[in-house]
Amino acid sequence: MEKIALFLLLSISLFAKNLDKNATNIYERNCVPCHKKFPISLEKLFFRYLLKYSSEKSVKQALIDYLKDPNYYTTVITESNLIDKYGLKQKTKLTDKELKEAIDIYWEKYKVIGKLK
Amino acid sequence: MSALRKWDINLLQTEKKTLFSFLFLYAFLISLIAIFVGMLYYNFEKDLMLQKKRIELQKYANDLIKRLKYLHYNFDKDQTYPRDKRFKSAIYDSDEVCIFSLLDSKKIDLNKIIYKKENKIIYIKLPEAYYLGAMYVVVEIEDDEAWLKKVYGNLIFYGSFFLALVLTIGYFLLNLFLKPMKDTIYLLDRFIKDTTHELNTPVSTILANIETIRKDDLDKKLFNKIRRIEVAAKTISNLYQDLTYLILHNKIISKEENVNISKLLNERVEYFKIIAFSKRVVFKTDIKENVYLFIDRKRFSRLIDNLLSNAIKYNKIGGEIIITLRDKYLSIKDTGIGIESEKIKEMFERYKRFDKSVGGFGIGLSIVSMIAKEYDLDIEIKSKVNEGTEVIVSWKK
Repeated sequence: MEKIALFLLLSISLFAKNLDKNATNIYERNCVPCHKKFPISLEKLFFRYLLKYSSEKSVKQALIDYLKDPNYYTTVITESNLIDKYGLKQKTKLTDKELKEAIDIYWEKYKVIGKLK
Repeated sequence: MSALRKWDINLLQTEKKTLFSFLFLYAFLISLIAIFVGMLYYNFEKDLMLQKKRIELQKYANDLIKRLKYLHYNFDKDQTYPRDKRFKSAIYDSDEVCIFSLLDSKKIDLNKIIYKKENKIIYIKLPEAYYLGAMYVVVEIEDDEAWLKKVYGNLIFYGSFFLALVLTIGYFLLNLFLKPMKDTIYLLDRFIKDTTHELNTPVSTILANIETIRKDDLDKKLFNKIRRIEVAAKTISNLYQDLTYLILHNKIISKEENVNISKLLNERVEYFKIIAFSKRVVFKTDIKENVYLFIDRKRFSRLIDNLLSNAIKYNKIGGEIIITLRDKYLSIKDTGIGIESEKIKEMFERYKRFDKSVGGFGIGLSIVSMIAKEYDLDIEIKSKVNEGTEVIVSWKK
């Protein structure tokens, strides 16, 4: 029984590792892995940005600004316990081009326009 | 004297023109004011209606926002845009990009709060948070336009009342403005009427007595004196006839008959010979005999008299008057001062005189024109300055 459990755990971790390796784009490689550990999903965070900044242009600009310079004033995380626990995000190491690309993918993934029925 | 009281004061053609110009201008200005007031009233009523509708639309928008809020937080479970039977709606982001729309109206002015477009009322609300990214929540309802029917009804009713009122005021104003002019014309007319009336008896007496004088018994000096008196009396008599016609022509009952105008023309030439002689003007006649015209004898006589009188008056000393009568026309040509072609049209206007050195009131051709109009006669004037004038009166048989 123990062997089976160990096998399953190994399989899952290998599968997860493969998933990371199979990550096809910059967003999935650079954003998704870390946020998986965070209790608020990327989708929920997207809707927080949408709630605060409204348009595509404003949301993307706000994301760029925050990722380049994360701070308490512009974060959309309002839960102080989460900030205490996880701290503020590190400044992005992506280039401007990469950052823009990642944000574009993020926008396309969760945008509302075109999804409403 | 009872006839005097019945005489009318007629406004002249130019005065009528002024009158119509004033009326046109007045009506135009009044219409402008009416349109302006009407537009103000329309806009006021429209705003009032929109204010009333705003409360209802605000409620709809709040309901929609509540549902958008729910959808925002549950987008992973439900992506169906909220619909409502009472209204149609749309959401726009801060860059005015449409997120989703159920509206009939294609283009929305997001800078307004509430407005009417065609038969739709559109209300725009800014929610406190941008649910689904919506900065503008647009609600649209149909306008039944009941208010518009009321507005049109009121505009027609009160507009007609207003127009009737201002036109009445305009009429009184016009009368007020025209009063001094009418008074002047009335005074002038009355003066002419009284004068002519009082002139008739003595002039007739003078002419009748001259007729009875046996000219053969007179010496040359006295004969000349008597002739000059006759010329003067005939001139006054002629003027009297003209003024009487002008004042009373509506009241005089015309008696149309087949008039031998050849005979009448000869008579009138004979009558005017003595006046023409005083200016050494000679008549040259080419009158076809027995030309008949169905007309009032007295009126046609007035027409001839005035043409002959003018031909003498505006002739040169020692000039000629060539009279030609045919079946369909009468031509009276003088060798006088003539007139510029551009002034010919004005010749028929009453009191128009181009040469003030000769006597008269400037009513002669006006009378000719009136009679010609009455009997459908055509008048053609040919004139050359310093050569003479020819007046051709023609008719259809």
